[in-house]
Amino acid sequence: MLHLPRWQTIAIIIFTALAGFFALPNILPDSVDDLLPKWYAQNRINLGLDLRGGAHFLLEADLRGVLNERMTNVSDSVRSELRKKQVAFKEVAVEPNGHVTVELRDEAQRPAAIEAIRAVDPSLVAAGSGAKVDVAFSDQELTRKRKEVIDQSIEILRRRVDETGTIEPTIVREGDDRILLQVPGIKDTTELKSKINQTAKLTFHLVNEDLATSSGGALPAVLPPTTSLVPTREGMQALKAGNPKAFDEIQSANPRLSPEQICRRYHPPCLPIFKRVIVGGEDLDDAKATFESQQNGGRPIISFTFNAAGGRSFCAATRQNIGKRLAIQLDNEIISAPVVQSAICGGSGIITGAFTPQQTQEQALLLRSGALPATLTIIEERTVGADLGADAIHAGTVAAVVGTVLVMFFMFGTYGPLFGGFANLAMGVNLLLVLAGMSVLGASLTLPGIAGLVLTVGMSVDSNVLIYERVREEKANGRSALGALTAGYERALAAVIDSNLTALIAGVLLFGFGSGPIRGFATSLSLGLLTHLFTATIFTRMLLATWMRWRRPTELTL
Amino acid sequence: MLWKPHHIVPAHTKINFMGHRLWALGLSTLVNVLSLAGVFVFGLNFGIDFEGGIAIQVRAKQGTIQLDELRNTTGALGIGEVSLQEFGDKSSALIRVQRQQGNAECVAHADAVMKRRVGNGWSVKPGAEGTGDVVFSAPSQLDAGGWRDAVSRVGLTVLERELPRANTNTVKIDMTPEQRAEWCQQVAIKVVDDAISNQYDVRGTESVGPKVGAELMHSGIIAVLATLAAIAIYMWFRFEWQFGIGALISMLHDVISTIGIFVLLRLDFSLTALAAVLTIAGYSINDTVVVFDRVRENMRRYKKLGLVDVLNLSINETLSRTVMTSITVFVAVLALVIFGGPVLYSFSVAMLWGVIVGTYSSIWIACAGLVYMKLRPEQFRREEEGAKAKA
Repeated sequence: MLHLPRWQTIAIIIFTALAGFFALPNILPDSVDDLLPKWYAQNRINLGLDLRGGAHFLLEADLRGVLNERMTNVSDSVRSELRKKQVAFKEVAVEPNGHVTVELRDEAQRPAAIEAIRAVDPSLVAAGSGAKVDVAFSDQELTRKRKEVIDQSIEILRRRVDETGTIEPTIVREGDDRILLQVPGIKDTTELKSKINQTAKLTFHLVNEDLATSSGGALPAVLPPTTSLVPTREGMQALKAGNPKAFDEIQSANPRLSPEQICRRYHPPCLPIFKRVIVGGEDLDDAKATFESQQNGGRPIISFTFNAAGGRSFCAATRQNIGKRLAIQLDNEIISAPVVQSAICGGSGIITGAFTPQQTQEQALLLRSGALPATLTIIEERTVGADLGADAIHAGTVAAVVGTVLVMFFMFGTYGPLFGGFANLAMGVNLLLVLAGMSVLGASLTLPGIAGLVLTVGMSVDSNVLIYERVREEKANGRSALGALTAGYERALAAVIDSNLTALIAGVLLFGFGSGPIRGFATSLSLGLLTHLFTATIFTRMLLATWMRWRRPTELTL
Repeated sequence: MLWKPHHIVPAHTKINFMGHRLWALGLSTLVNVLSLAGVFVFGLNFGIDFEGGIAIQVRAKQGTIQLDELRNTTGALGIGEVSLQEFGDKSSALIRVQRQQGNAECVAHADAVMKRRVGNGWSVKPGAEGTGDVVFSAPSQLDAGGWRDAVSRVGLTVLERELPRANTNTVKIDMTPEQRAEWCQQVAIKVVDDAISNQYDVRGTESVGPKVGAELMHSGIIAVLATLAAIAIYMWFRFEWQFGIGALISMLHDVISTIGIFVLLRLDFSLTALAAVLTIAGYSINDTVVVFDRVRENMRRYKKLGLVDVLNLSINETLSRTVMTSITVFVAVLALVIFGGPVLYSFSVAMLWGVIVGTYSSIWIACAGLVYMKLRPEQFRREEEGAKAKA
């Protein structure tokens, strides 16, 4: 039956109104935007890079290089460990496939050799036979390392891109070893390319405890020349949350503010630290989130490893400063200032504290972000100037408007003002739903996406065409107005659903395989088909049912 | 009422579509064979998405673009094949440069760019044979940050950590031949930029390295095949297997002949073209479903009628809908062709063709296929009897 319960009618109207509400911010002028709450006004469709202008990079991390470097370190450690355990060997060599082979002088010492290798790193796996030992990391460890490298690269890229003052960059992992970087609105990519592989400044400093305690939390008025004031990362994040305006000022200040200026002007929590660098980030080999042994309480901790040079200076500094705090500074923020518990010699140490596992992960990531772990090569680049984007927006808009008007014209001409009007109304609601859907999903509208919208317009009147043509047939077969409309609607329904679902298959697969602007096309097309299912099966039905009840026509002008 | 509704197609047409099926099949076979032959003989005009390479959109700073002059300038740069086309309006052009090899020539280009952009004292030379290494020399001593900045002038991104910490005059950058090939795309962009920047504004640049190009091609082919297979399987579940095969054949027909249009008109076959191909498959199946749906219904209703008659009847009954929907999609796409701008041009033209061929194929290819697969009304009769027996 065509009849629709009243509550369903109301539900449909509310749903459509809601869609209109969510799509509305897209067409509001900026002056009105300021009067509205932020969460609502920002609920807009993002323009893709091809429309707003900007740069898109696909970067590939050189994971082989990372592995090779790591295995070179492993081979050094294995050599010294073997000597220590007095295992005689002919050669320890790094193979091109990322393995290390150890050639022993005496086959009988094989168990001792394997023990030595295990002592270097428990995640190493020894294989091979006889006097030859083949050493490699377990697959699990390799996967972990790969993920770690990419995560770390993303974190560093974010810092680098933020420094260039761009807003809303997109930095995401793509596949196993790639990073997608999208920077809207950027004109010249030279600076960005130079920054991509830049090393962050990670340094270890002693905290000037005398100054910190004497001032009792307040900022010291005068600093000795050996000391500088640096805000803590937590403090800066609190500032960002509590006083976003001040944070924006700091970000956009030109010339950039020194850490001390930030402390004095905006009063985030700061620490006085000695300017002398104890160890630099380039000497930090690795840092990872882990847990204490069960006997010690099993708390989440951060463990770190220095190279030989770093280990020596760190050992000397910690021995002399037990009980004092050691500030770890990253790009003008102190990410952590743990208290030195004991002299840390032997190149590796741990940071304990009241951490959650998530915090230790984050801290370890920050510690590692001194240097990019792997070279990033640009393997795809697309840059669109803002004026070119504006041209594309113009062309897309004109095409969309002309296409829509033409389709509406044909529907009116073929089915008359009433039924043509129903069809066009349904098409309009469909378009509204797509726009609302894209706003809520935060999807990007690209130029091909606009083409998808135009296609949606052309295809979304199809369901009405199917229904109307069926009604015409039923009418010709001698049915009454109500009978023809009901039968026409019901019989057309199966075809409407099947044809939409099959077309949707193409849309979804295109989304899965496509990238960039094409994804935008797949999004708008697929959303269009989905919403079309709603307008065709429910909305049109409501229109027809309401109209029938209201006018009770005996004759259909179709 | 202001105006009365119109019947675009008169009601109760009795066109003998299936009677002409041999002609249609002959024509389609010819078009498809020619399309495939065209791909092998003339090749597809692959855009940089699939082949790798560089595309630069430029606009003349003054007046209209002088294509011949620009062709001479860019052709003499020694960066391989360069093709030009007017893009959008008279003052804009698209410069397409073939994918660059990571050879010694590329390093020589980098050397020239370095000398032009940074200074005469600089040089770039290839490293040892068989590797992709490159050696940079500077007129004065530089630290790691200085080197990083310097090499980025020729589009090279190097890990600062891997650069010498002490001040040096030369630095060797370790690269594999593959990494160098990726970098050489960047070098070629700079070469073109240097040659044309006093007369033209660069409005957009795209470069796709050899690796991504090969992958996009691979995933594109998989996307098309997966889509066709998924739709055919859906049809098989919703209808009979014969319908699934019929739909598959008609989609293949549309995809191949669309590729033929790309060969014939020398349109750019890029990622958007791939989107067009898949959308055409989706559109074509949309049309086919409507006809098939009616075929199924009529087979149940007119059990005495032969298959060819049922098909003719169904096609005629749905004809007005088919024509009407084709027109609405056609006009929408036409708006894209005319107003959508140069980026969407290939896509829109292909879609326009797709609307026509999709409509045609759902009538002649999909339905004619059913005739040859011996889909008989008896099957439905058995089905219905089975259903009755159960009840």
